[in-house]
Amino acid sequence: MRLELEADLGQLNRIREFVTESATSLGIAPSLFDDLRLAVDEAVTNILTHGYRGPGDIEIELDTAGADLVIRLRDKATPFDPAHSPLNDPHNSEQGDAPGGFGVYLIRTVMDEVSHRPLDPGNELTLIKRGVVT
Amino acid sequence: MSEELQIALSKEEGDKAVTVMRLNGSLDANTQGALESKAKEAIESGADYLILDMSGVDYLGSAGMRAIHAITNVLSPDDPGMHSDKLKVLNPSPAAMKVFKTLGFDSFIDVHANVDEAIASF
Repeated sequence: MRLELEADLGQLNRIREFVTESATSLGIAPSLFDDLRLAVDEAVTNILTHGYRGPGDIEIELDTAGADLVIRLRDKATPFDPAHSPLNDPHNSEQGDAPGGFGVYLIRTVMDEVSHRPLDPGNELTLIKRGVVT
Repeated sequence: MSEELQIALSKEEGDKAVTVMRLNGSLDANTQGALESKAKEAIESGADYLILDMSGVDYLGSAGMRAIHAITNVLSPDDPGMHSDKLKVLNPSPAAMKVFKTLGFDSFIDVHANVDEAIASF
């Protein structure tokens, strides 16, 4: 399932609905939908806020690989690697929030694997939830 | 203001001037600013204590938590940390509560299931 759009923050609701519809089609348990919506929303928010610093083209793809759910987000924004960005654990910080820090922390909490590769131009972020496809 | 988050204010009678903000919709990066603006407006109009009623919030992300953090700083400008005695949260969904706990906000902000208890807790 794939969605390509010129995204802005006003379309986050639509993007979360796309995640729900795709996960339903792929047979993922509804109990996981909140985590998946959260991970994709936070990733898109970071791309728009810190990558494009405004609206921009984003491609979101949900697919299965064996028992795993694989979500890929592609953009043409400034390189940004949340898989290896400094992680501010909000539990240990009164200030807590590096740019995108809370969002990155949430993504890495609810997903099993987060990886990044640079595109020319842009970024591909891959989020994996393991063992959820039956 | 975003059409995706409705915010209704009501003042509760009691020992302290408690304002309840009833939120309905999604609390994400698109609506974060609307919540912050409405809360600042209420605080500038005399609201010293706020309850965020999240019964109607169908999505809460980190942007919503940043809004809550920003509001606590407006309520307590001399105490810029995350902790707040002047803001309580009412009835978040299980998914919203998970975000609260994952980011550690449940250590800094009281969460209540009953509005009367939330009011009495100030």
